[in-house]
Amino acid sequence: MSFYRYFPQLAHTGCRIVSACSREYNCIAWAAGEQDRWWWPDANDIGYWPADVPREETIDAFIRAYQTLGFASCDDATLEPGSEKVAIYALAGKPIHAARQLSNGRWTSKLGNCEDIEHTLDGLTGSTYGSVVQIMRRPRI
Amino acid sequence: MATATLPHASADTVSTPLWTTSGTPVPTGLTGQPRISQLSGEKFHRLAAQWRAERGPTSSISQMAMHPAYQQIIGMGLAVLPLLLHELATEPDHWFWALKAITGVDPVPPESRGRIRAMAEAWLRWGRQQGYLS
Repeated sequence: MSFYRYFPQLAHTGCRIVSACSREYNCIAWAAGEQDRWWWPDANDIGYWPADVPREETIDAFIRAYQTLGFASCDDATLEPGSEKVAIYALAGKPIHAARQLSNGRWTSKLGNCEDIEHTLDGLTGSTYGSVVQIMRRPRI
Repeated sequence: MATATLPHASADTVSTPLWTTSGTPVPTGLTGQPRISQLSGEKFHRLAAQWRAERGPTSSISQMAMHPAYQQIIGMGLAVLPLLLHELATEPDHWFWALKAITGVDPVPPESRGRIRAMAEAWLRWGRQQGYLS
């Protein structure tokens, strides 16, 4: 499946595919630095979700999930030496995607079952993933 | 971990082979296990292909499961269990919501949540125990 049709902004901002498709993990896991499980707070207990964080598809629950990994909310998406950042995207108030900032200032995302890409934050905004609603950061290890 | 025994479907008990979405026949199950007619198999293939093509680059398990084609597969009930299990055996994918909805059980241990291959293996073990897979 080509993902480009879902993200028309990428035609303007550009992106680089950095891995093959995989069903082993998703964007939430990838932003958290994992590649071996699918994170999602579905009501059917299928996806992985951190213990003690509500299994609900709310922005607050996603913020709390990343807080378990040491991230704290902030309002600055620019590159800060010594900090690692994640961005949560939401559509109509529901969290739908997360991206992680790379040390070069660009962002990396796993696109559902599709590839990992390197992109700008704006590149994934639109009718599929909505827009960035929260930035979080933690000290880069 | 649920290990309940399910009643077996009785509607589709024809002896035609099962078919996967890739068009290869599914190994036959044990005698008396739910079978799927070629017509239902074709419907399953069509719906599974539609779901794969239309689910898009989503991470949301809920969104994937709410897709109309996926919901129709759930609606086909116990008769498609062997096909779903065979799909997990050949190409693990997000069929877990459908399997839980159809069977009402969950053989996946909590520590395996989100781990696609481990979840698939848990369902395949359950399928063999229940006689849905040979």
